[in-house]
Amino acid sequence: MEVLQYIVRKLIAGIPLVLGVTLISFVLIVYFGPDKTYELLGKNPTAEEIAEIRSQLGYDQPFTTRYLDYLREVIRLEFGNSESTDEKVSSILARTIPTSLALAIPGFILGNLLGVMLALVAAYFRGYWIDKFIMGFAAVGMSISFLIAIIGFQILLSSSDGLDLLPVRGWDTSTPLQYIRYVTVPTLATVFVALGYNTRFYRAVIVEEMTRDHVRTARAFGVPPAQLFYRNILKNSMIPIVTRIMFSIPVIVISGSLLLESYFGIPGVGKVTYDAIVTGDQPILKAVVVLTAVLFVVAQLLADICYRIVDPRVSLK
Amino acid sequence: MAAGTNKPLLSVRDLVVEFETDQGVLRAVDGVSFDIHAGETLGLVGESGCGKTVTGLSILGLVPSPPGRIVSGRILLEGSDLAGMDEVGLRKIRGSKVSMIFQEPMTALNPVFRIGNQMRDVLQRHQGLTRLQAHSAAIEILAKVGIPEPAVRVEDYPHQLSGGMRQRVMIAMALSCGPKLLVADEPTTALDVTTQAQVLEQIVRLQQEFGMAMLLVTHDLGVVAETCRHAVVMYCGRIVESSSIDELFARPRHPYTTGLLASIPRATEERGDELPVIPGMVPDLLHLPRGCAFADRCPKAHERCRQSVPHLDLLQSTRTSVACYEPNA
Repeated sequence: MEVLQYIVRKLIAGIPLVLGVTLISFVLIVYFGPDKTYELLGKNPTAEEIAEIRSQLGYDQPFTTRYLDYLREVIRLEFGNSESTDEKVSSILARTIPTSLALAIPGFILGNLLGVMLALVAAYFRGYWIDKFIMGFAAVGMSISFLIAIIGFQILLSSSDGLDLLPVRGWDTSTPLQYIRYVTVPTLATVFVALGYNTRFYRAVIVEEMTRDHVRTARAFGVPPAQLFYRNILKNSMIPIVTRIMFSIPVIVISGSLLLESYFGIPGVGKVTYDAIVTGDQPILKAVVVLTAVLFVVAQLLADICYRIVDPRVSLK
Repeated sequence: MAAGTNKPLLSVRDLVVEFETDQGVLRAVDGVSFDIHAGETLGLVGESGCGKTVTGLSILGLVPSPPGRIVSGRILLEGSDLAGMDEVGLRKIRGSKVSMIFQEPMTALNPVFRIGNQMRDVLQRHQGLTRLQAHSAAIEILAKVGIPEPAVRVEDYPHQLSGGMRQRVMIAMALSCGPKLLVADEPTTALDVTTQAQVLEQIVRLQQEFGMAMLLVTHDLGVVAETCRHAVVMYCGRIVESSSIDELFARPRHPYTTGLLASIPRATEERGDELPVIPGMVPDLLHLPRGCAFADRCPKAHERCRQSVPHLDLLQSTRTSVACYEPNA
């Protein structure tokens, strides 16, 4: 019950954030976004023709009316039809979001899981060669551009110069095997780059936790290393770890998929967004902007609830 | 030391502990030796940074490493050398034969587990109890250290308890496996004054009840006077004086001990009188003088004091040892 109340309260508190984001992005779209008027008109249009088109597009309405219309769309989750394909925006999203998740989730899970594991190993052996090796690897992951990592794995796994095992680009989820064949290269590239940042961050968190008094107490009572790492170090590092994981969700879903999907030609929400930016497809952009903001609110909420689970000192008040 | 010819429970011999720092090797403990007999309390006194805590940590092999390490010396507990023992061997001793309690009760317990869980863990590991047996043993020992409603409190998380209560839980945990030696590192320093006295009294009472020996590490001479029969005074990593409590307070032999005692505020002093202080500063452990580390602050220092380090020698016809060329009569 306490949790439910908390969720409702947090969602209400998230409304101003969503409003703020929609307002700013709407201003940007209206004043700096593409103007469709002249695309729809012939050459040398008359003033009347211009005015007619503008009123068809709704451009003649005052700003507040247009913004309120947009908010009405947001509340009904009904953003109209795409200007390029005339498909309903909601059905485009329903079709593409699962694809994006199928693409992003394996890399997300592996990147964090391996990151925590490598960080634990590095922290345990800190100062020794294995720590230096892992941190060196992390530094490479951080310094190499995402695009270079993608191309590197493509050459290694998908080209005749490498193993030539996997498709270069595209997407197919008809069978699990096909899915694995197509998801592997993007996942490897994501994990490789994410591991760099994750391992460094998690190692710092874990090393800090290792110097805490309660760790020394546990050692003074004969706690063996494996238990020490699990009960004292990992459990107490969960707040920063959860924070990082939760807040990377919106980033991965939006910006990660933007690059990955347009590069690999994967029909996910990132590809759709990219195309919408290029063609100035306003209904899609408006929907994506709102979804991103909502995703942030939800991620924050999930993070708060996870804090409560991992740390008894946190109360959901 | 204590009367009787039987072998001491713990015998520390020529212990040297060093820390690697960016500025060079720092010798935190330099040739420290002392004995503790079964059931006896030894006070280890000195200012912050004098090496008393590191000495205490060395006994359980808890000197943070890197950067610290025991360079030489022996720590004999009932004949087996803890200084040369591997982690696996030490783990069997930690919390069972030798327990330690720390200065900071607020942070010394794991914040994400209930205190009962943490206490059960120690009991199950060392005593081989089942979960249920360990649970009732934990409640029993919590009652012993004066925690009201122990059966309820055992389900609390550390943050739900006050500082004094947490320190009691630490003490309960430390005593739960019936250790032969308790290393208490400033056990009451972080508590407020009224709680201090209660907790100290509790420790002494339980120590007698359990018949265990204690190494009490503290900077507080008042605490030492109340609890110990014998005390060792450390300065810059070395023992400067080792004496019975009565002797130490009545006739301090080392000028440093004299200075320490003089700087304790007394109720009899006139209000407004200036409290005597030891002039000068504790020297930097990285740049210790060649001779006696206290020479620069010592009113009686002469050339020899600055040239070579005085040994800790037994004074004739006393049981007091002092490391000084000019001990007080």
